[in-house]
Amino acid sequence: MRKKELKLVVTFHTTADAMAMEKACKENNVPGRIIPVPRAISAGCGLSWCADLSDREEIVSMMKKAGIEEEEIHECMV
Amino acid sequence: MNLSDSKKKLALGGAVCGIVAAILALLGNPANMAFCIACFIRDTAGAFGMHQAEAVQYARPEIIGLVLGAFIISVATKEFCATAGSSPMIRFVLGVIIMIGALVFLGCPLRMVIRMSAGDLNAWVALIGFILGVATGVFALKQGFSLGRAHVTNKESGAVLPVIVVGILVLALCTSLLKASEAGPGSMHAPIIASLIGGLVFGAIAQKTRMCFAGSIRDVILMKNFDLLSVIVGLFVVMLVFNVATGRFILGFSTPGVIAHSEHLWNILGMYTVGFAAVLAGGCPLRQLILAGQGSSDAAMTVVGMFVGAAMCHNFGLAASGTAMNAETQEVVAGAVPFNGKVACIICIIVCFVIAFTNKRKEAK
Repeated sequence: MRKKELKLVVTFHTTADAMAMEKACKENNVPGRIIPVPRAISAGCGLSWCADLSDREEIVSMMKKAGIEEEEIHECMV
Repeated sequence: MNLSDSKKKLALGGAVCGIVAAILALLGNPANMAFCIACFIRDTAGAFGMHQAEAVQYARPEIIGLVLGAFIISVATKEFCATAGSSPMIRFVLGVIIMIGALVFLGCPLRMVIRMSAGDLNAWVALIGFILGVATGVFALKQGFSLGRAHVTNKESGAVLPVIVVGILVLALCTSLLKASEAGPGSMHAPIIASLIGGLVFGAIAQKTRMCFAGSIRDVILMKNFDLLSVIVGLFVVMLVFNVATGRFILGFSTPGVIAHSEHLWNILGMYTVGFAAVLAGGCPLRQLILAGQGSSDAAMTVVGMFVGAAMCHNFGLAASGTAMNAETQEVVAGAVPFNGKVACIICIIVCFVIAFTNKRKEAK
């Protein structure tokens, strides 16, 4: 099994925001991938954006530019 | 124990739910209906006299247990969160649509999996429709479909449905106000206490594992993520073993007594409707009950929609009939979807498309 490591996990208010995030990240070559919201973060069943901790600034500035609002930005084992 | 940090534990959670369903089937729930959200909501709607189909009226304690199980465990683990405000009336309509689709097929996705585990090939045919429906919903998500965000609200709002189901339980135990079938599927049930405990256990595990039949396939299509699917596989395997071990596994299409029909197109379209609407609503019928239990008023609206949909299905002659044995002639009478049901199913699919491609995400300002 793949070893879990500490990652940056961005959650959103809606699934559509997460989908918009995926699209915007691909267009702007921002690293990361879409994953189900880790169970440790939420009992909901939405989607979230997972990236390395070091990508935080790049991601936050891209989201601002693209008009995507996060619910929360977590650091958790994924 | 953390039930959700590995696929093995998720599958174990599903397996325990399978055992609950198997025990309830042994204790008297209808043949391989065992545990069906759509059927049980329909029966409960019948108990209230919302429809007059005498064979399917019984306030199913499983439904009460599911909502309460999710409510209690989410409060106990501080995950209860009252939210509301994500297009409630559209969610109501999706609840109606989910129920119509389910009763054209004759079962919710949970019962589809239980029927699959009993060798009912009609359910395997319906699975094709279900997957296509979920895939259509995923396509809509990719196109920017959104019902808008929910907001945190008064916790009393999130507690309304759990309180209502307690009220139903009190009515069932202490009064004779609720109708109860004397014959047919509604008359077949496990003892109330067993059904209630089964529902509580199932609800608590479903809350912890986030068990969802639509979500599991959505995650596979969207992200190649198999976490949620492992819960369903766990449940399927246990039910398969149970059915084979007790001689209930009968491979075939025409199976009198199972409450199924073999109109393949309508099995596919019925479950297509359910899969599509469930992705738009953010979860299958089971998941809606669980989300409502952990505080979502939006999911509770979908549940209310399912109750109204169940009443419409029987009042307007939309629900399919199951293949049955005529007791006098010993002939197998094929089950069928009535004309009204076919029209309703098509209308539901059209409404799903309208909802899916008109509700769009708005950018943050």
